[in-house]
Amino acid sequence: MSRVLIVDDAAFMRMAIRKVLEKNGFEIVAEAENGEVGIEKYLQYKPDIVTMDITMPEMSGIESLKQIKKYDANAKVVIVSAMGQEVLVREAIMSGAKSFIVKPYKEDHIIQTLNSVVASG
Amino acid sequence: MTVDNTGESLLDLFIFETSQNIEQLEQIILQNEKTSQMSAEAINEIFRIMHTIKGSAAMMMFDNISTVAHRAEDLFDFIRKHIEDYIDYSDVPDLVLECLDFIRNELDKIKSGGTANGDGSDITAMVSQYLSQIKEISEQGSTGSQGEDAMTATLSVPASKVNSSLGGGEAYRAKVLFEEGCQMESLRAFDIINRLAAFASVVSCFPDDIMDNDDSAAVIREKGFEVVFKTNREYEKLNRFFAETIFLRSIELEILEANEYKMIITAQADKANAAALAQDSGGKEQTKGDSYKNQTPAPDNHNNAVATIINVNVAKLDKLMDLVGELVISEAMVIENPDLNGLELNNFDKATRQLHKITMELQDIVMSVRMVPLADVFQKMHRVVRDMSKKLDKEVRLEIIGEETEADKNIITHLSDPLMHLVRNSLDHGIESTAERLNSKKPKVGTITLEARNAGNDVLIIVKDDGEGLNKQKILAKAKENGLLKKDSSEMTDKEIYSLIFLPGFSTNEKITEYSGRGVGMDVVTKNISEVGGSVSIDSKEKIGTTITIKIPLTLAIVDGMNVRVGESTYTIPTISIKESFKPRKEDLVVDPDGNEMIMVRGQCYAINRLHQCFQVETAIKDFEQGIFVMAEQYEKTVCIFVDDLIGQQQVVVKALPAYIKNNHNVNGLSGCTLLGDGSISLILDVGWFVGSDLGA
Repeated sequence: MSRVLIVDDAAFMRMAIRKVLEKNGFEIVAEAENGEVGIEKYLQYKPDIVTMDITMPEMSGIESLKQIKKYDANAKVVIVSAMGQEVLVREAIMSGAKSFIVKPYKEDHIIQTLNSVVASG
Repeated sequence: MTVDNTGESLLDLFIFETSQNIEQLEQIILQNEKTSQMSAEAINEIFRIMHTIKGSAAMMMFDNISTVAHRAEDLFDFIRKHIEDYIDYSDVPDLVLECLDFIRNELDKIKSGGTANGDGSDITAMVSQYLSQIKEISEQGSTGSQGEDAMTATLSVPASKVNSSLGGGEAYRAKVLFEEGCQMESLRAFDIINRLAAFASVVSCFPDDIMDNDDSAAVIREKGFEVVFKTNREYEKLNRFFAETIFLRSIELEILEANEYKMIITAQADKANAAALAQDSGGKEQTKGDSYKNQTPAPDNHNNAVATIINVNVAKLDKLMDLVGELVISEAMVIENPDLNGLELNNFDKATRQLHKITMELQDIVMSVRMVPLADVFQKMHRVVRDMSKKLDKEVRLEIIGEETEADKNIITHLSDPLMHLVRNSLDHGIESTAERLNSKKPKVGTITLEARNAGNDVLIIVKDDGEGLNKQKILAKAKENGLLKKDSSEMTDKEIYSLIFLPGFSTNEKITEYSGRGVGMDVVTKNISEVGGSVSIDSKEKIGTTITIKIPLTLAIVDGMNVRVGESTYTIPTISIKESFKPRKEDLVVDPDGNEMIMVRGQCYAINRLHQCFQVETAIKDFEQGIFVMAEQYEKTVCIFVDDLIGQQQVVVKALPAYIKNNHNVNGLSGCTLLGDGSISLILDVGWFVGSDLGA
């Protein structure tokens, strides 16, 4: 079972993602409401995969991603983006994000994305 | 932590979080409006919140909310990118508030089980129009549209990734098609290039302006995406690499012939030269865009608390409160059990003391859980004052004192409407126009003060304005006109005269304005407040201002009460309404020709209610001199209630009367019931009914 960390400032989004993932056999090890807490939780739980929102207070998802990558070059981070954030997603990919999903996402999209990222080396 | 798997709870969370978000937004807007200059921090925050609302609403399929939030997000995205342009943003608060009102309205519909079917197209059109306006201004102000240029520069595939001179090995061409509906195809293509660059040198790709415009995304969607690269990796490994691509529909990988590869190289070189020339002009603008990106938003501490706070349905808390109430009673039933009488039980007593301590603590905690600060309700008034002072063209400052004062959640919900009504009234009728104020040598800006403070088991909420005050003559004239005067005006105290405005059907303002005087008068305030067991009083000085004081109990669940006995029954009178209790003297008793009994106390005459008659209870004590009187007051009216005896004062847990009693019996005069320590039932009196019945008689 893959262990997931959800980083999103919106509790609604965290719950929405959690539900989809738990239904599909992922284990949610932790949630974080901003990039900074995201890093802490990452170091604490060493999840297999992280879903990372971009727009968050305190520390953005991209900054958090960069920091996480610094601690663990193999970290698997999937960016949760929205239409119109192409530039940011691009920056995220260049900073080492494994993939991304686009809100509002379809259930099978997020599952497919996460499964492929977990399966990749 | 397990999460309830119904879609409903997700909806609850959506409603809760979005409501919170719009409230926060409103605060930001109102605060910034005062300084008339939006800080970068505020703009980022607004952008972020709109973004969140957009995302959540889209997930819940509330498309109209999502669209409105999206437009607002676009607007703020533009503003934050042009923050240094000094564009006049004075219309922005109004626009955002429009958006907020729309979203709030839709949320209310969703909350009440309806569908969010409001049409947001007007608002989105307004925002769009404004956005294009300021875009135009900003473009005129600066040479060339720097924002766009900076974007293009960062969007195209970076030169380092498309490098023909690097690396040897075989040349390949890969053609990738993505699954339908996977979104952001151009980024997925970019992702491939990015990953490919780790072990291959990318020579060219098609479309080559992968992310410049939506068109390339469409091209990739339909025709697929082509990339030419050189690498030492074997064909099989490469095929596997591409196969790993998420949302891959098909991949064609072929080895390029030497001459074909050369042609591509030359074409690429020509293009690069042309691009270098064109880039020259846009280059220097790029720094500005970048410097903005590096600007991290200032830390904002209040969000840190989110993780440690959970939201609980009030109904669950009510239930918990009920259960704790039952527990307290059961505890008393065990400890005071008649079977234990006369027994020496040292260990039992020790255990019961511990039990008692814990139940008491539990009760306190449950009570405190239901307590919320008045801040939310008070903060809402900022918006009321802002909107109204704008429309009425009066300058008004709202001062808030003691917003951290707490009260029961249920009571606070009932407080919002009356408070809004009072504030509106103060603004509309109380505060004078700027000219009038200057004439009477008052400060130009009027002040409305909202103050909350604790007073024993009550909370006092004071709404004060420094306006023109109430005009006694006008009030009396109006009351006479509407037939509201019960006694001669010369006999009335100032307070009594002022209190007339709380009567139903009273309204002094000649002209009906949008805000007050829509037929709903101040009586709504009294009604709402008394529903939660509170009272309203008013004081005013002409030319100086008006003060309205609302007194509400801290909680509805527990009442400080005086237990009284009538025959074998016990009743509880809320202490808040008791003025005094006394033994009467025979010579003070008066009976009028109709047989109504009255009593003179210090020169005042009060009606008497015999409790045993009201509720038809058997009692031996019918003679006034054997029993005792409790003088109770509500709505500024006083009545004397005759009972057998006082038992004692205590806090009781209020329970609603069971429905089968309500349906089958006349429960006038009763507001609820409670269980006493010995397990017997006591009925809680509704003093309001007693003073009302007095009027009727």
